[in-house]
Amino acid sequence: MFIDFFLDVFETHKKQDAIVWNNTIFSYGWLKEKVFSWQQILKETNIQPGTVVMVEADYSPSSIALLLALVENAAIVVPITASVAHKKAEFIDTSEVELVISIKPDDSYKMTHLKTQATHEHIATLRSMNIPGLILFSSGSTGKSKAAVHDVAKLLEKFKVKRHALRAITFLLYDHIGGVNTLLYTLSNGGCVITVSDRQPDTVLATVEKFNVELLPTSPTFINLMLISEAYKRHDISSLKTVTYGTEPMPESVLTRFNSHFPKIKLLQTYGLSEIGILRSKSESSSSLWMKVGGEGFETRITEDNILEVKALSGMLGYMNAPSPYTEDGWFHTGDEVEVKGDYIKVLGRKSEIINVGGQKVYPAEVESVLLQLDFVSEAEVYGMSNALLGNVIACKIRLSESTEGQDKKTLKIEMKKFCKKHLEGYQVPVKFHFDHSEQFSSRFKKQRSL
Amino acid sequence: MITYEQVIELIYSAIDELNASSDNKAVIKQEDTALYGESSPLDSVDLVNVLLSVEEALEDEFEVELVIANEKALSQKNSPFRTVSTLASYVADEVNSQ
Repeated sequence: MFIDFFLDVFETHKKQDAIVWNNTIFSYGWLKEKVFSWQQILKETNIQPGTVVMVEADYSPSSIALLLALVENAAIVVPITASVAHKKAEFIDTSEVELVISIKPDDSYKMTHLKTQATHEHIATLRSMNIPGLILFSSGSTGKSKAAVHDVAKLLEKFKVKRHALRAITFLLYDHIGGVNTLLYTLSNGGCVITVSDRQPDTVLATVEKFNVELLPTSPTFINLMLISEAYKRHDISSLKTVTYGTEPMPESVLTRFNSHFPKIKLLQTYGLSEIGILRSKSESSSSLWMKVGGEGFETRITEDNILEVKALSGMLGYMNAPSPYTEDGWFHTGDEVEVKGDYIKVLGRKSEIINVGGQKVYPAEVESVLLQLDFVSEAEVYGMSNALLGNVIACKIRLSESTEGQDKKTLKIEMKKFCKKHLEGYQVPVKFHFDHSEQFSSRFKKQRSL
Repeated sequence: MITYEQVIELIYSAIDELNASSDNKAVIKQEDTALYGESSPLDSVDLVNVLLSVEEALEDEFEVELVIANEKALSQKNSPFRTVSTLASYVADEVNSQ
């Protein structure tokens, strides 16, 4: 019932590539059979509709088929990937998981029944309507991750509109709203889901070359790493038509560098949140951070203090472990500060990420963007440090490129300050530099705001 | 123990660093150079830079951890940030009383 429109697409495309996994191609005909075989397993093990099922997996033929079978069975799915393994117990507890299905690296599975009986009101709501659910955890840069409960019937609605079939890499993870979106978009249009074993620039770009990937949905951090690593020189990525980026503010300098290297690749910004799903967006141009957001099922408005609010037809029911974030009239307060130009908006950053230096606002992304223009800076993370004189001052964590080995840090520091002073206001220039050799991005290829 | 003269040297090298990272600024290294206030060539961010450089040097060269700009410094009747000299006295006193 819920996945009929998927099965129709699978039938029409049954001879075509559905999934590439471990260098093996699986057809839509195969996938359809696999969905049926999972439905059979769920039936035999007596998994009732409304069961809260944690699926511990990465993208694989079996995990993709399982997801669809669970949706059809009106289960409430909690996807989780190895990247959050350390939070597994917390997630099981918060989302009242009743059954864990783990998909192993060889694509076999293991089921573990738990004693919990889920009673949360959002789960009860889904059960009473006999509708499948999806629970996604927000990354929660501070404190506990929040569990957002979605009505999957509503979430699937937008995928019924036919769009281009693309060969896409599922770069964003299986338990991330962006990853779920890429997966459902690709399958509902008869495109090909191309999985990667890891998310290193060379692995990803080698996959692009080998399987003629057309769409790479990724993050600004990965784009930066791809440029730094020069992986594009080692692989032919001419099949790539579109790269999308979201999840964090894009430094203007990275955008410019990408465009000068790849003038033919369309670079589009996406906008979405675990709580409301992915909005349709349209960038003004490949070189622009301005975009229009909205699309069917989404309304947007800007508050007086320039925060974007979204009303989404497919928005979550609410959190399981936090108060409802909706305004009284049903809008979701994103916390993202935006600049407005006609129909276009530009996301400046999370209000909470803005650093207040002596009453002046500093956006970390802007400062990072300047630092990254220096050849010897591989990565930069800018953060606020409390200071008795100015409230906060700008500090940064720098990963130097290997070419600087043996060079005096003090000289480099002076050079960075000098360069920043040329391109930024005095109060935006970092006063404290911390050098770190380790890579700063998370397993989600999102800059880790560690401080 | 740290002497007033030693702190003065640390402040001078902090000023060197500030001058080096700026194209149009040349703060003179003198004990009566105003660090903050009307007659000072430094703005608040410059001052923070100087203080942090001195803190770093204290840690690197004397293994002393000191946050110079704290509530205590700000609540002094006479600001320790008036001149190079007043800052040196304040820092030397703070370090030696630790």
